[in-house]
Amino acid sequence: MNLMKGSNYLIALRDQMEDGQGWGREQGRQVFQRLLGQVEATPDCSIFQISLRGVERADISFASETLVELARRYRRVKGFCLVDLIDADVKENCEAAAARKGQPLTVWSDGKAEVLGPQPSQGTREALEFALQRPRTRAAEFVVEKPGLSIANASMKFKQLWEQGFLLREESAADTGGVEYVYSRIG
Amino acid sequence: MERAVQAAGAPHGPGIYEVEFRFPVGSKLMIDAAVRILSLVNQLAFTTRRVRLIFDEGEAGTMGYLNRMGFFDHLAREVEVGPVRPAQSAAAIYRGGNAGLVEIARINKGHRDHQLPGRLADAIGRGCASRPDIKELTGAAWTIFAELIDNVFSHSQTRLDGLAALQMYPRGDRLVVAVSDSGLGIMETLRPALQTSSPHLTGLSDLDLLVEIFRQGLSRHGADRGDGLKGSAAKAMKFQADLDVRLPNQRVRLTPARGAYAPNRAYCFDGLPLLWGTHIAFTFRLHA
Repeated sequence: MNLMKGSNYLIALRDQMEDGQGWGREQGRQVFQRLLGQVEATPDCSIFQISLRGVERADISFASETLVELARRYRRVKGFCLVDLIDADVKENCEAAAARKGQPLTVWSDGKAEVLGPQPSQGTREALEFALQRPRTRAAEFVVEKPGLSIANASMKFKQLWEQGFLLREESAADTGGVEYVYSRIG
Repeated sequence: MERAVQAAGAPHGPGIYEVEFRFPVGSKLMIDAAVRILSLVNQLAFTTRRVRLIFDEGEAGTMGYLNRMGFFDHLAREVEVGPVRPAQSAAAIYRGGNAGLVEIARINKGHRDHQLPGRLADAIGRGCASRPDIKELTGAAWTIFAELIDNVFSHSQTRLDGLAALQMYPRGDRLVVAVSDSGLGIMETLRPALQTSSPHLTGLSDLDLLVEIFRQGLSRHGADRGDGLKGSAAKAMKFQADLDVRLPNQRVRLTPARGAYAPNRAYCFDGLPLLWGTHIAFTFRLHA
């Protein structure tokens, strides 16, 4: 059952699986195809929440072939985050899979975001934390918080976070007449 | 088991056409030895050698135990058994009836047993229930065996089945899980993964590699767990499991420290008789 939630789209991973156990590469690839189908069926949507409700077990290979691969494939274009991730082992395996593939995966619980897998560099960490606290952000807003930081520098940090898969971005017209980017957290 | 095979000479060696395994009265077999013998015997039969297993005590002894574990269900048909191959499979009759064991299961790409990692993890959950870390251990166990077995499916490249089994030894305060692969599955997953994560390790022999992983697994506390054997080994060691890994000509036993001042140990054996594949035994304490 897929539900529209604002501009986010919820996909239940369990519905794409035969039972609650996600095991291995082969099964992972089959489930990936079903997830892909869901994504392609909603072309206007750019952020997807994947619910882990009902997924009792998932190994690293399965997480890698499904969740991480999905995020990796659409990196910079669409974002995928995880919700209802309660099981500690499933989370640990998602973390390992994300780290192995170098693809960050945002997890939401109790309104707070956590990023699994690769972590932002020293220089971009604060920018990411700033971005995660609000649905959308511009480099100019971050500069207000960090005196001494130039707009160009702030833009670079957010651009890097976008390239690495931590954030999404959209083009918009800047007040000055040029192009400005609006960065959004995933989820 | 190794001493006996070694004393007899190398069964996979050239000029060997007949091999007999004799189990004298009073012999007892641990599950990991049983699974390795089964792998070896099937390998020898596969190379068209004539193989015999002689159980001096008949069903009353080791043969009865092996029958209960499903040994004969997976034994190559051509292998002769004395006094006589059991008429019925005790494993088939009693399967699942004993919470302290998981009968030998085959690992074969064409016959995926979706419940196998779950059965092994659940048995650990029951057997080690007294441990304070039992919840974490059960979850970790599922991942360990799911990963290992999936690697045997994915990479094995052999027509010989992989095998897995579990046995509790309450008097020894331990539980042993054996996973056997007669092909390339387990070790093969290690090296490509290493090429990206730790390229300086790719020149090491398989045995040195395992010891190095052991060392890394202990020092990094699971920060870089990778997949397949590396991840499984690191995860198991977090729970103070002993690991016994048999490679084609070598064997390594990895024993994590139990106390604050005891060292972690790796025991390496070289020049062993050829046994194809990788055979792992995990030993978990029933009480941490």
